[in-house]
Amino acid sequence: MSEKYETHVKSILAECPDANPEEVSAAFAKYETEFFIPPQDAMRSILRRFKGETTPTPSAGTSGSSSSAPKPTRKVSRLSELKGDDREIEIEVEIISHNIRDQTIRGEEKQIAFGLLEDNPWEENGEKNRWEYKDWGPNSNITPGSVVRIEGASVNEYQGKMSLNINQSTRIAVIREGTRPVTAPGEAQDISSLPSEGYVCIVGRILATRPDQIHRKDGTGSIDIIRGRLADETGTIGFLSWEPLEHEVGTLLKIESAQVRTFRDTPELNFGRTTKIEVYHDKNFANVDALSEQTVLTLSELRDGARDVDAVVQITEWAKRSFTRDGEERFLWSGQIADPTGRCRMSAWSELPITEDQLPLTVRLKGVRVRAWQGIPDITIDTIDQVEILDAPPWDSELDLKNHTVEVALHELSTGASRIGISTSAIVVSVREDSGFIKRCTECRRVLREGACADHGPNDGNNDIRLRLAIDDGRASVSLLTNKDATLSLLGMNESELQGAIDDAGQIAFVQSLREKMLGRKINASGRTIVDEQGAMLLADGASMIDEDAGLRATEIRAQWRVA
Amino acid sequence: MQSGTRAKRQPAWHMLASEYSEATLNEKGSGEYDPSFVITKLGAKVNRVVVAGLLERLEVRETSNGSTLHQGQMRDPSGVHYFSVGDYATESMRELTLVLAKKLEAGEPVLLLMVAKSKWYQTDEGAIYTSLRPEEACEIDAQQYALWLTRTCEDTLQRMKHFSDSLSAEPTREGLIGAGIPEHMVDGLLVSRNHYGEIDIENYTLNIMQALDIAEGRMEAASQPVAAPAPNQDADAGEVATGDESEVKETIISIIEQLDQGDGVDFETVLTNTVARGFDRSLAEDKLDELSNEGTLHEPRFGWFRIVA
Repeated sequence: MSEKYETHVKSILAECPDANPEEVSAAFAKYETEFFIPPQDAMRSILRRFKGETTPTPSAGTSGSSSSAPKPTRKVSRLSELKGDDREIEIEVEIISHNIRDQTIRGEEKQIAFGLLEDNPWEENGEKNRWEYKDWGPNSNITPGSVVRIEGASVNEYQGKMSLNINQSTRIAVIREGTRPVTAPGEAQDISSLPSEGYVCIVGRILATRPDQIHRKDGTGSIDIIRGRLADETGTIGFLSWEPLEHEVGTLLKIESAQVRTFRDTPELNFGRTTKIEVYHDKNFANVDALSEQTVLTLSELRDGARDVDAVVQITEWAKRSFTRDGEERFLWSGQIADPTGRCRMSAWSELPITEDQLPLTVRLKGVRVRAWQGIPDITIDTIDQVEILDAPPWDSELDLKNHTVEVALHELSTGASRIGISTSAIVVSVREDSGFIKRCTECRRVLREGACADHGPNDGNNDIRLRLAIDDGRASVSLLTNKDATLSLLGMNESELQGAIDDAGQIAFVQSLREKMLGRKINASGRTIVDEQGAMLLADGASMIDEDAGLRATEIRAQWRVA
Repeated sequence: MQSGTRAKRQPAWHMLASEYSEATLNEKGSGEYDPSFVITKLGAKVNRVVVAGLLERLEVRETSNGSTLHQGQMRDPSGVHYFSVGDYATESMRELTLVLAKKLEAGEPVLLLMVAKSKWYQTDEGAIYTSLRPEEACEIDAQQYALWLTRTCEDTLQRMKHFSDSLSAEPTREGLIGAGIPEHMVDGLLVSRNHYGEIDIENYTLNIMQALDIAEGRMEAASQPVAAPAPNQDADAGEVATGDESEVKETIISIIEQLDQGDGVDFETVLTNTVARGFDRSLAEDKLDELSNEGTLHEPRFGWFRIVA
């Protein structure tokens, strides 16, 4: 055979004098041509093969028995558990403040950090204690507002006052990033960067205000409140005032000690007795018209619980529905709407001047509110004057929004709101063992576990077909469920062929055969997403594997990244 | 990640063995569901990887508590991954392991792709060792291997860029975000910089060049010993392989062929790439001149080279 592998063959023969040089050379050729393994990388495998049974024993004792704790630390949950001479302690705390100062230590200029920390960081409104700390590191990952676990700190007691010393050997693990910026009182924050909970100070202009009532659940009457919306140049936020608020639309206010509360997915400011509201003067502050622009949202930006939303959408389906409440027949109009960023539902409590033959119809919505059902936003129209019919859409009128799917990067899907009419591409990183045939509860369509539904008990169930995959773009992972049609077309089988394949191979081998086809490969899936705290789920009605040419990609990468 | 709540599924990083095996930094949450991470020099905070390569070893070991553990190693162009499959693995993963072990015993080459969790442990002396626990795996063919290589190269290049960008930024969260570092890289880069200090990423470039050669099916190039990093250092300069003169020219031409997107390839790119393949810079400069003078190359604008069609 070729002389190409001469040096490599020689090295093998040096170790295995009995081996046939032709065979060794053929082995190198096979690794290279069939498996893309260059000879230097194939050496070890080929050597092993020709050495036969005498495998070199792995070097270094990698036994799994060694423990990973370098030093024992004393773990406490409260600062009060600590004594003045405690060393090597571990505790989770919230960093309240963090300051850096230069200090000369033994003639050497050194930076150290100090500030306040607070124990019991996870319990809302729980009892908390604050201590001072000094960080001799200083560690760059200590930031105000973050919750960190401090491992290996020591207690310092000086004139009866306790503090914590964070030494250079102390480990700091950030458990929660500083989502609650700790700001000095009286310093206004941008609306776009407000925390989801807590007390804040802002300067903003009133965009909308209206009286409202909250009815007590126990029927003891109602409370008069004011609802409205405030804006600065970074964003807008709804507010609810429990106290009378006489200011008109357009007034610029400075509001101190307002409480942010998050209702559904939407933060809202609450003004109470302790909130300080005063008129603020700033000639350069944007006017109402400029600020109002920001309340115009695209469908992809809608969040459950949002109010005072403006949007321009196309109604693609619209129908009247009736239902009975308190023995009285009532009507509701609802349908599908779309804009170039996606699709969702819309409902109206009063009749709109829309007939089916006018569809699709573009409308401007003003001051509407958003509810969500299974995470999919649903715009609610309460009165007819919230809707203005437009002659033409502000986007390309040729766009068929009814069947329009929007390509969205996976990591954007995984954190945003739930969406309809999207498609995405990512790598398959898991094919779950329960892919294939499943039984769904006859009542609620949930998948039966061992012949029973969690809510409706044992039942025979209805057959269905699905794949349960995990897909990943290196930044986020999303659970992908393909429905029956998408599954069959993806596998290129009909139902009976699929049944045959599973019967022949058994469930485990069938799933493994899917992995051979899919794992590590790129897939495109389209459908809708449901996003919650546990991550995102993509329910796909279409899916296909994407073929790529490795050689072409490699050359593109060289050009793009300038590596030869 | 708040304690007590079940965390979201962690993303999987496409990663070469060199980047993963050089990592010595880790992070483990205290809660039951808190994920554990290995943090690489390039700042990837890794809980899960997609890796591939040639299965080189797969052996059974009896552990002290009587359970069985398969330990294996898998080679890619940059190095070796160590992994283990124990009784904790899924039934299908254990079954696959047995099948693969048999194949390996019979001397059959096995190209493997796996999605695996990162594992690390610390010796009593404080040294950190990393390994992998495959969750799911399958045999792949050379084409799929080549695709995995390209994805991995691209992701690694992206990480290298984020890493370089982060060096000139303020080492705080805000600083890195301001420097355009995406959210998923910020935490890792902050701690990796503290832990590893100054690092040399030139080796990763060489790994990538070789991996791309393989992906393009240019096995000749991939089979050549990997060139030493940029040879413009000092007294050793005399020892730099000057290479056969015609070889330099061929290399230059092939570089321009590959990189030309229609406008030609600029002087600096041609030279860096030639040097990265083990040639002397001034020799490459001379040969580039020669190619231009003899009419093999032309310069559509100053400093940009194209092959004369």
